[in-house]
Amino acid sequence: MTTNNVSKRILRRVPISGFLVRVLVTTLIVGGFMKYFGVSIGALGQGLAYSLVGVSVFITFRILQFPDLTVDGAFPIGGAVCAALILKGTDAELTLLYAFGAGAVTGLITALITVFFRVEGLLSSIIVITGAYTVTLRVMGARSNIPLLGERTILTPYQKEMRSWLIENYGREMRRHSNNLVEIIVFTMVVIIVLLVLNAFMHTELGLMLRASGKNSQVVRSFGVNHHLMTILALMLSNGLSGLAGSLAVQQFGFADVSLGFGIIVRGLAAVLLGEVLLRPHSIGQHILSAAIGMIIFDVSRAWVFAALELPTTDIRLVSALVVLTALAVPNLIDRWREWHKRRVVNRRKEQGQLDVAAKAR
Amino acid sequence: MLQLKHVSVTFNEGTPNEVRALQGLSLDVKHGDFITVIGANGAGKSTLFNAVAGTVPVDRGRIILNGKDVTNQPEYRRSLDIGRVFQNPLVGTCPGLTIRENLSVAAMRGKHLGLLPGVKRKNNEWFYQLLKSINLGLENRLDTDVALLSGGQRQAITLIMATMMKPKLLMLDEHTAALDPNAGALVIDLTVKLAEEYGLTVIMITHSMHQAIAVGNRIIMMNRGHVLFDASESERESLSYHDLIERFRSLQTGDELSDRAVLS
Repeated sequence: MTTNNVSKRILRRVPISGFLVRVLVTTLIVGGFMKYFGVSIGALGQGLAYSLVGVSVFITFRILQFPDLTVDGAFPIGGAVCAALILKGTDAELTLLYAFGAGAVTGLITALITVFFRVEGLLSSIIVITGAYTVTLRVMGARSNIPLLGERTILTPYQKEMRSWLIENYGREMRRHSNNLVEIIVFTMVVIIVLLVLNAFMHTELGLMLRASGKNSQVVRSFGVNHHLMTILALMLSNGLSGLAGSLAVQQFGFADVSLGFGIIVRGLAAVLLGEVLLRPHSIGQHILSAAIGMIIFDVSRAWVFAALELPTTDIRLVSALVVLTALAVPNLIDRWREWHKRRVVNRRKEQGQLDVAAKAR
Repeated sequence: MLQLKHVSVTFNEGTPNEVRALQGLSLDVKHGDFITVIGANGAGKSTLFNAVAGTVPVDRGRIILNGKDVTNQPEYRRSLDIGRVFQNPLVGTCPGLTIRENLSVAAMRGKHLGLLPGVKRKNNEWFYQLLKSINLGLENRLDTDVALLSGGQRQAITLIMATMMKPKLLMLDEHTAALDPNAGALVIDLTVKLAEEYGLTVIMITHSMHQAIAVGNRIIMMNRGHVLFDASESERESLSYHDLIERFRSLQTGDELSDRAVLS
């Protein structure tokens, strides 16, 4: 306790105080949104669609501590199922459930391979991704791309109203943002509902056991629960969420594509890390929320980098990698800088003889 | 209560590294027994423990728990009746979960897992009393992350978690070995208290001869996968600390690599 207080007192003299950081960040966010409004709300909608991927990766990597890459397969399968069903005339809202189910089955296969054949998680998920590519193509009827032009998605019913409302209140200039605004509103609703249900689940008996299983599977076994069942459950849940995210993304883009999930696991990891670093969550609910928000932060900040540097869209991968790298490196550097500064403060005090006096008094 | 009939466990069978950890070991544990198990390193104590718990498959022989043959039951099935505490204080609790959540996990032993709240309000008073009874002040820190507690505190919580649902058998594998003397004494006192209070059958592995003499009603000394001697009640009364040390020394002279040789 006392050492903690001392370090806090020292840190208070460090110019990078929490308050200054908050002011700086807020200014950056508000400034970014003002300068790149159109880009920002576009990225916000996309970030919301992908935010469940962050939650999905959080469940496997953080709760279960299982290195699962199946997300790369579950995401496009969810999207493909959604698109194929919409073309067949299924209710767009209902396709979200089917997409969740398709993702969950993908996760189930990874889990079964791991549990029954004792294949390492990383490897079994790579096997499943490889196979899932074909399944995605089959679902899309051997086409690599299905356009949803003119089909009813969960977004279309509100787009016309939003457009006329914007024109009425903000003038014709704002009309071009209407689709983005609809996306943001609808996806926010969907994501909030999913996060609330997930948070509630994590507090149930099953959810608690699932969390315990990831932290220490021996405890779970010691209390009469098959920890393999928990692995299966968590992987189904996680990849189900990715499938759901896939279906949201497809409805946003207006098409399904077989390559949609390529490298998405990196984005999910980035979201989890960014959320943890920036929001410092404590409870399980905060963790889930920060993984989702991390994805939004990732997408929006990446869009800003693009807009600010006026880069072509072909550079997207490199920018993604750099954003992830920055998210990983900066907190590390700040911590090291703080430590260095702390040591400097202690040294200076030592020179002033303050510590000697304290030692004598003791 | 618990019967082991000619149980054999061999590791790396058929290779030059073959280790015959248990060699046709038989043991009859009566209801209410508090057995202390001693023996040199490699005598098979932990293997006995793991064979009963189901983490190690048995080559030959039967294990009968409460009249039921559990030889081929998986670990998680058996653990409905068996409470365990390990040497490593980090193994028995889940870091990242609070004390309350850990106790809630333990309270679910043998219960059907559903979608009811995992942490139940009706358990609050029970948990409070359980923690209050160990006098570590943990009853006011129920919402503290277990990872922030000391080894002794975590081991005390592990012990409470292992016993709170009154398992038929409590198995302790050197559960005080990693603790400082004070914490160790505290955990041993707690063990004895809980065993008496709940009328548990206990098997405790220990390296402390003092502990082996002071605690329990039956001493088993193991060597090379056999029970070397088994002293209960009257016979045990006459055993002194020095007798035990003497017997321990005598059995070691036969080993190619004795504890003393390793330690000296």
